[in-house]
Amino acid sequence: MASAIGMREELIIKACSSAMNAHRSPQGYILEEIPSSSDHTFLFSFRGSWSATDWFAHKPFGETDIKLDKFPSLRSIGNIFKNKFRNYIRMNEPMQALKHVHMGSKDDLDATSKYIIQVEMAVEENEQGCQKKKKQRAVMGKRQVVFTGHSAGGPMAILATLWFLERAWKTKISPLCVTFGCPLTGDHIFSHALVRENWASCFKHFVMRYDIVPRMLLAPITSIEQSISTILHFFETRPRGITEEASDFYETVMRNASAVASHAACKLMGNTNLLVETVTSFIPLSPYKPFGTYIFCTGNGSLVVLSNPDAVLQLLFYSCQLGSETEGTEIAHRSLEQHLGYENELQDSLQMQVVHDVGLTELANLPLSGGDNSALNDLGLSTGARLCLRAAAELEKRKQRNKAYFRMPSWTRESLETKPISKKDEMKKAMQVLDDYRKMTAVRNVGYYDAFKLQKTADDFNANVKRLELAGIWDEIIEMLKRYELPDGFERDGEWIKLGTRYRRLVEPLDIANYYRHSKNEDTGPYTIRGRPKRYRYTQRWREHAERMVPGSSGESHFWADVEELRLNKDGFEKVKDEVLELENNLLKWVNGKDLDEDVLLEESTFVKWWKTLPIQHKEEDSAIVKWCKILPNQGAESGFSTLMTNT
Amino acid sequence: MLALIEKSKSIIITGHSLGGPAASLCTLWLLSYLQSVISPLQVLCITFGSPLLGNGSLSRAILRERWGGNFCHVVSNHDIMPRLLFVPLASLNSQLHLLLQYWQLSMTSPELGQLVFQLRNEDKAELFRFVLVHLEALAQGGEETMRSLFWPLGNYLFCSQEGAICVDNAVSVTKMMHLMLLTGSPNNCIEDHLKYGDYVDKVSSQFLYHRSFLQPGLPASSYEAGVALALQSSGIDIQESVAIPAKDCLETARRMGRTPNLKSAKLAVSLSKYVPFRAEIEWYKASCDDSEEEMGYYDCFKLRTSKRESRVNLNRIRLANFWNDVINMLDSNQLPHDFHRRHKWVNTAQFYKLLVEPLDIAEYYKSGTHRVKGHYLKHGRERRYEIFDRWWRQKESNIVSTGQEDNKIRSKFASLTQDSCFWAKVEEAREWLDNVRSESDIRELALLWKNIEGFETYARGLIESKEVSKDVLAKNSSYTLWVKKYIALKSQVVQYFPPQFTSFANGEIVP
Repeated sequence: MASAIGMREELIIKACSSAMNAHRSPQGYILEEIPSSSDHTFLFSFRGSWSATDWFAHKPFGETDIKLDKFPSLRSIGNIFKNKFRNYIRMNEPMQALKHVHMGSKDDLDATSKYIIQVEMAVEENEQGCQKKKKQRAVMGKRQVVFTGHSAGGPMAILATLWFLERAWKTKISPLCVTFGCPLTGDHIFSHALVRENWASCFKHFVMRYDIVPRMLLAPITSIEQSISTILHFFETRPRGITEEASDFYETVMRNASAVASHAACKLMGNTNLLVETVTSFIPLSPYKPFGTYIFCTGNGSLVVLSNPDAVLQLLFYSCQLGSETEGTEIAHRSLEQHLGYENELQDSLQMQVVHDVGLTELANLPLSGGDNSALNDLGLSTGARLCLRAAAELEKRKQRNKAYFRMPSWTRESLETKPISKKDEMKKAMQVLDDYRKMTAVRNVGYYDAFKLQKTADDFNANVKRLELAGIWDEIIEMLKRYELPDGFERDGEWIKLGTRYRRLVEPLDIANYYRHSKNEDTGPYTIRGRPKRYRYTQRWREHAERMVPGSSGESHFWADVEELRLNKDGFEKVKDEVLELENNLLKWVNGKDLDEDVLLEESTFVKWWKTLPIQHKEEDSAIVKWCKILPNQGAESGFSTLMTNT
Repeated sequence: MLALIEKSKSIIITGHSLGGPAASLCTLWLLSYLQSVISPLQVLCITFGSPLLGNGSLSRAILRERWGGNFCHVVSNHDIMPRLLFVPLASLNSQLHLLLQYWQLSMTSPELGQLVFQLRNEDKAELFRFVLVHLEALAQGGEETMRSLFWPLGNYLFCSQEGAICVDNAVSVTKMMHLMLLTGSPNNCIEDHLKYGDYVDKVSSQFLYHRSFLQPGLPASSYEAGVALALQSSGIDIQESVAIPAKDCLETARRMGRTPNLKSAKLAVSLSKYVPFRAEIEWYKASCDDSEEEMGYYDCFKLRTSKRESRVNLNRIRLANFWNDVINMLDSNQLPHDFHRRHKWVNTAQFYKLLVEPLDIAEYYKSGTHRVKGHYLKHGRERRYEIFDRWWRQKESNIVSTGQEDNKIRSKFASLTQDSCFWAKVEEAREWLDNVRSESDIRELALLWKNIEGFETYARGLIESKEVSKDVLAKNSSYTLWVKKYIALKSQVVQYFPPQFTSFANGEIVP
């Protein structure tokens, strides 16, 4: 059991009872230290809330924008949604609201600060402990920080874990987050980002087969508004009789869950029917998507573990279906009771020790009919459900195949290769040609950018063809990324980030040259705003994210577009003075950091020619470059910047 | 309706029986209207037991417009009404009359219907048999399909006691109509038309229950199991003889192959293989602009002054083939639903159109096709250009509606003439000028002159706003020559025309 779930059994049981106890904690959370001979565990348990306003503050699904400045790792790297309201990753509202409830403060940061301090202490102590007792370190083992919560306490625990992960990325301590009957918390970007950052495995969600709460947020607020207070009141006071609303509530949630699951399944199976798209604009679909490892408690003691988010979403719906019409009322009651039954159920599971770990292979080869001894029989899955789970696994496998395809040698009809060549090698070859072209142009003393812009020789034309070939390959990658057809971790793959950066620096100047040569800026607008292809925007963001740079600071590859726009400026120097200074500062940073080739500073380059037309006052005094050269005269004289100095 | 459009985000239009075609027509009107005003309003048409609405051309037109997803026709497995218009009904007039009356009364006052109007059993049986026979011939394909006046459009949701299946391929819809009716009877094919309430109730509560495959022998492959489940939902028992053709039919209805997403990703690579052809044409244009002949690429290409033109022509054809393929893929729904809104494709298509359409026009007039088929603008323009026009307009209007429009004032001539049909207009204007000389009827002459003035104003406007590329103004271009001729003729015309026509000649009236 421990190995399938990835945490110790006692810890699961302990976390569960603490999570339940936390509901009665006046301060909102409990911190416990569990000393042991092998490791030392800090356990934070968060209280939930039973107030309807805490659960749903915003329509339609209680979602709100996540504060990306506090959780930068959760951003979507390449894909940025145009729609303003979808610009950020959503987390559900209870989390935000509950912070106020728990901490009694209005400011988000303040609100979290109390427990943050406690967490920090725990981390620090851990680090100090390690340093002090260096000798004992091996004996001590690692220290563990665990966050846990039941019901609405779950999202709190998740937020705390994320906060910890954002800050603890250097400390190498991997925290654990264990939730019980937790409502859905993040949308598909959230789920995607956690896998990408390799954080998904920190999250363990226990879900009882019929517990309604993990499914509840699949329904829009308007549909369950009437009954939600009664349901929450039931959870809080646990009266003997079961509320009358149970059946209606169960049916409403399931109806909406069915819409979400069917829509997701259509996507999984590659349905092309246009009706699906049309209907989506008539039926509000919940934005939430599962993430992390889900442990389904079947009710008879056995556990089913799986971590593919698409499969979990399907399972959340299908495992809750009725076997027959007569079961209706009973299951509806159970869907409420089970939300409070985690402690007992886990005790049983501990006794039984029956855990089905359903990995990708098992999922893809799931038997379609029940009856045999398949892992998912205990969840009573229909044939349709099994097909959906298979489809989820197939999608994941397809993503992996799509990534592998770029390495796979294959024959290309148009190329003159004598042996099969992979897309990646084709790319490297084309880039080599452009590299040679760049070296050649340097001899002409005009630089790479200007030579290409002039388009005088056949070499220039050939370079243009290579540029277009590369654009095709990269556009294919970007197109796949946009449609989530590549594995979630693709944008964090070091090799691809490096390749992307090299490609961007080498080829984007050519795109810009082409753009301004054809004065497309007058057709569509400035390059950086309107004309910049996604293949460069994405690759720039990959690097910025991986190296934790300020967004936008790795824009060296569109340097020429900035120059062109400033060159076209008609409003006089004063208007753009700040932009010129910024450009100069960036130029210093990029050239000195070897991010940008020095050929921009060649005598005949567009940049140098333009710079020399700037007002004398700027060229002699104000320019950032002049100032830098004055401070470091030796370095300045040796560098390419000396071209700018000689004439002034 | 217009008031509704103002205040709604989405509209559902629905109708049962004869209300169905009315609902569909209303939706068609709304969709066409929304397209003309470019509105984000969402429309969905749901009909229940509706007779067929239009013929094959209408069905195809709807596919092309990508409106198939806006129509959902709910048809119960035995209902005869949606199937009636597949057959020639003239011989069944009297039975039909009774049938419709029966249905109408049953809908308005159920008891009365039962009591008063009942078709004789023989009539029912004859009707049932007649429809079956014709449907069978249709389902077999062949000539009957061609002759059929009516053809399904949009999506069909077939309901049975076991569930529902959705089919959007018109051929499969016709086949399923036939196969499902085969399992019905003369009686229930009439009663079923009145039972949509029950069917919808049944289908809409299905989500609550496990629905497993009920027969032994479920196939192991996901694909086949999926088809078997669909067959079960259609209410056809796997033991029945129609099960096998029904299974085949459902398999063809489900398109296989790469998913639209991967297809469009792949298309990026094919595009990159074709862009060099375009780049070569660009190069050709640039070299024409710089050449001593001073004609611009339109006239150079038309006159075939050098060997290079045949290469350019080859590239022109290759590119046309590529884009036609893209349009075909789009028509057959192989590409993602929002393909035509993706900037990369809209921009590339626009650039292609601006660069290459002038060559198409040149080819058209060079080969004299205009003398056979009529002028390019009306009779020769390829559909792809019209589609790209629409994509571009849609994008532009989005930019305007989101307020991102900057004031575009050009500092120099555009790299490509922004109206890709400019040269076609020049050609027409040239013909008008030639006709002026030979025309004797004064009314015709006035009209001609009005057209000429109209073109002159249009062209001048383009040039003043620098929307044309410099090749238009090259010393020996068709346009420059036209202007010379025009000025010469204008001075003659002013002398020739009686005073009341001078206003035309002076260009005071702008059409």
